Amino acid sequence: MTIDISGVAFTLLFQKALYKPDEELLIIADVHLGKASHFRKNGISLPSSAQQGDYDNLRSLFDLVQPKKVYFLGDLFHSSLNDDWHNFCDLVAAYKHIQFTLVRGNHDLINGSKFHDICVAVVDTIEDELFIYSHEPLNNVAAGKVNVVGHIHPGVVLSGMGRQSVKLPCFYMQEQLMILPAFGVLTGLYSMDQNKASHVYLVLSDSVRRL
Amino acid sequence: MDLSKHPIAEQWFKQSDWQPYDFQVNTWDAIGKGYSGLLNAPTGFGKTYAIWFGVLQQYYKKQKPGIHCLWITPLRALSKEIYMATERVSDGLGLSYTIGLRSGDTSLKERTQQKKKMPNGLITTPESVHLLLAAKGYNDTFKNLQFVIIDEWHELMGTKRGVQIELALSRLKAINPELKIWGISATIGNLEEAEEVLLGGYGGKRTMIRTNLKKRIEIETIIPEVIEKYPWGGHLGIKLMEEVLPIIHKSNSTLLFTNTRSQCEIWYQRLLEREPDLAGAMALHHSALSDETRLWVENALHEGILKAVVCTSSLDLGVDFRPVDTVIQIGSPKGVARFMQRAGRSGHQPGAISKIYFLPTHSLEIIEGSALRHAVTHSEIEQRVPYIRSFDVLIQYLVTLAVSDGFRANETYEEVIKTHCFNSVTREEFNWCLLFITDGGSMLEAYDEFHKVVIENGLYVVTSKRVAMRHRLGIGTIVSDAMIQVTYVGGGRIGSIEEWFISRLSPGDSFWFTGKNLELIRIKDMTAYVKRSAGNKGAFPSWQGGRMPLSSQLSSTIRMKLDEYGKKKTDIEISSLSQLFEEQKMRSHLPHNDELLIEKIKTRDGYHVFFYPFEGRNVHEGMASLFAYRISQIKPMTFSIAMNDYGFELLSDQEIPVEEALGNALFDSSNISADIYASVNISEMAKRKFRDIATIAGLVFNGYPGKAVKTRHVQANSQLFFGVFTDFDPNNLLLQQAYDEVMTFQMEQVRMMQALQRMETQHVIIKDLEKFSPFCFPILTERFREKFTNEKFEDRVKKMLEQLDRA
Repeated sequence: MTIDISGVAFTLLFQKALYKPDEELLIIADVHLGKASHFRKNGISLPSSAQQGDYDNLRSLFDLVQPKKVYFLGDLFHSSLNDDWHNFCDLVAAYKHIQFTLVRGNHDLINGSKFHDICVAVVDTIEDELFIYSHEPLNNVAAGKVNVVGHIHPGVVLSGMGRQSVKLPCFYMQEQLMILPAFGVLTGLYSMDQNKASHVYLVLSDSVRRL
Repeated sequence: MDLSKHPIAEQWFKQSDWQPYDFQVNTWDAIGKGYSGLLNAPTGFGKTYAIWFGVLQQYYKKQKPGIHCLWITPLRALSKEIYMATERVSDGLGLSYTIGLRSGDTSLKERTQQKKKMPNGLITTPESVHLLLAAKGYNDTFKNLQFVIIDEWHELMGTKRGVQIELALSRLKAINPELKIWGISATIGNLEEAEEVLLGGYGGKRTMIRTNLKKRIEIETIIPEVIEKYPWGGHLGIKLMEEVLPIIHKSNSTLLFTNTRSQCEIWYQRLLEREPDLAGAMALHHSALSDETRLWVENALHEGILKAVVCTSSLDLGVDFRPVDTVIQIGSPKGVARFMQRAGRSGHQPGAISKIYFLPTHSLEIIEGSALRHAVTHSEIEQRVPYIRSFDVLIQYLVTLAVSDGFRANETYEEVIKTHCFNSVTREEFNWCLLFITDGGSMLEAYDEFHKVVIENGLYVVTSKRVAMRHRLGIGTIVSDAMIQVTYVGGGRIGSIEEWFISRLSPGDSFWFTGKNLELIRIKDMTAYVKRSAGNKGAFPSWQGGRMPLSSQLSSTIRMKLDEYGKKKTDIEISSLSQLFEEQKMRSHLPHNDELLIEKIKTRDGYHVFFYPFEGRNVHEGMASLFAYRISQIKPMTFSIAMNDYGFELLSDQEIPVEEALGNALFDSSNISADIYASVNISEMAKRKFRDIATIAGLVFNGYPGKAVKTRHVQANSQLFFGVFTDFDPNNLLLQQAYDEVMTFQMEQVRMMQALQRMETQHVIIKDLEKFSPFCFPILTERFREKFTNEKFEDRVKKMLEQLDRA
């Protein structure tokens, strides 16, 4: 679904990503690549085949949207360098025409030079006239600007008759803050307070819907 | 009595002017003749000395340096008790036999001293034994070990700590095949099995020594003057405080047992508010308190300076507090054995009567007082079901061995299959465990950095210091939530508390903990800094834990007692409930033993159906899932399930076709395995069991309070592992174990079969309610709910969204 933020159109994708048509920009948060490998390196057997889903999802999303630019809003890589890095390099190499930027998150421990080597820019924030992109929500966002972030892994609980409930990932808007759902398959959900939100957009299996 | 073969005992008993019991002499004889065995005796009759003088006598036949006897107890408080009792003997007789204590309480200084020179007798816990096995050169430490004594084995056997003991014994037996094993156990329904599990498949002479001594227990139910017709959990208890105070006053020293730590805190606080004079003469005791505080309370109890102590299971076991003459059980004890154990905390002297008051926390619970008395009188005591095939504990144990001196696969396999727990484990399954710790599981991945245990010349070892340290910190099978320390701003540890509770508070908020009103100042590095607050308001931390199921013994006795209502001769507990029973009759129906009551009602929440099999929470949970599964075969449905010990509720947004399901043999027990398996698959029970398994197997950890170990980036919750294994590694043995544990312990399949067979013969009575009945009300207000659905996820979301749109 397409929404308007500060007069600019954004498309909310059920693939848990945000698309900004005017810049042909795709925004993705909290992929946590290399997580299975990091666990395994530390003696915890999380099957690394589980991570494969992330690469499949990224590829099909790039093919579908065909963006010019991609911002990863932090926690792209789960921790320090490990073997999964090669898979990421392969992915980037396969999409040479896309300009990738990593907005560094708390989990991104890999040296920036590694990213530069494969032509991925690394920054702490990106700011233009209307938006500030960062990993964690920033304090003191200038009036009139919107801070687009990841980090939280937002989810909301939907409830119905018979004391039923389900938890779903969501895009969560609160005044000047737009929080993206976590993209990675090896991530969980943090329950948000619906009442504090200005808008909540539920991510369903084949669509996005406003709550 | 011929004590010539037991001169040390003879001297001690003469010196103390005591006469040994027959069972004590018999035990000394058996130990002298080289038997292993199980001693079954009630507390308070000198079972410690029945073992101890046998052990001492053997030592002086052939003195060797180092540890001669390991005495393993489930509780630190009990370890201390044994330490004092045995130390008294060495002191009193001027023996050279040295005794040491080793548990979580033991200081680093003392440990280092022990390492230099081990005492002859070491009193310790299952976890500490495994920590000793995780230390380099443990072979040398245990080379002269002759005896392992397992105290309160009945308490350990039905837990994974019991599995830890079985595994430790398999190693110690291999170091010294002549090692003798003795268990001490209170009476349980399966003593023979308890002996088999403990002694394993090692051969050698074995015996069981039983006493015919019986502890006299007097049970009195505290019955409220006014019976609430609509009972709900926890409400009534505090109201009965007025009845409790006179009991405390007329007794020398009283233990008040609660089932949860929060109940413990609340009772302590309310008693103090009502009777400020008790300050200083009353204390509380539970497992979240700091070691110092707990030890202080235990000492004060010994010295008789406390009038009352509000406690939890932390004071359950054989600790001998002589001044205690009265016990009050607050809320259902859930089982006969536990109730008798707690009763035994009073009147500890041989021959004394144990006096216990039962204080119900809601009116229906009053029946339990009557049922308990019946079960105690007729010695109807529960069985303890031992764990089998606990791969999580095996995996932890293998890494423990790899951390210290390493192990060889063939040798260790031969050792572990001698235990009861693992005797059915095949070599393939064992190999899977090896693969799990060396390669991270059965998936062979071309390019992998998995690192935990490595094989060097056939020896499985841990080479990484980080892996070793994290493993040592994680040894144990008691899984709790992430804990953080509570400390005064000015210094001084108070205890530890669940992180999720503290995380809901903001600085400035107050809460009750360890009987004190505390204000949260800040949280830093897994520590909550607090100060005393003058206020009187604050949250009580609530802990999950009061979820123990009613045992089958107790539930069948309750059914029997319920049937006595209206008959001429009945217990005071039953007749006191007449108003509630009459209300139940008026609103619905009061079922007899040959009837099964089903109640239906529609409310704003949806369609409710209540069943009352009176089989205990566990069986109800399993049965509810089974029924949900069978009903949802008629049409796809989603249920919210609630249960208590008396019955359970199915709640749905659609009308529940219960009559149709009854016509389709809802209670059929002839062919249920497939249905049970399917229902477990759909419900979330296995996922919940997997939480403990993942932690014990070292997949999940919550960080270590007060320890500087970085773990943030390797923390994930067990649900993630459950999901990933289900999708990518469905043959994972730990995943299988979760399902097996649900089948054995959660569903108690055997018990459920029996219940279903009984229900098939019962006359079913279905009542459509206009208003809630006294029976259904407490179930309706249960907060913990199980989910069951076989509707498509998308369909459910769609329905909920439609409901939202309509609203």
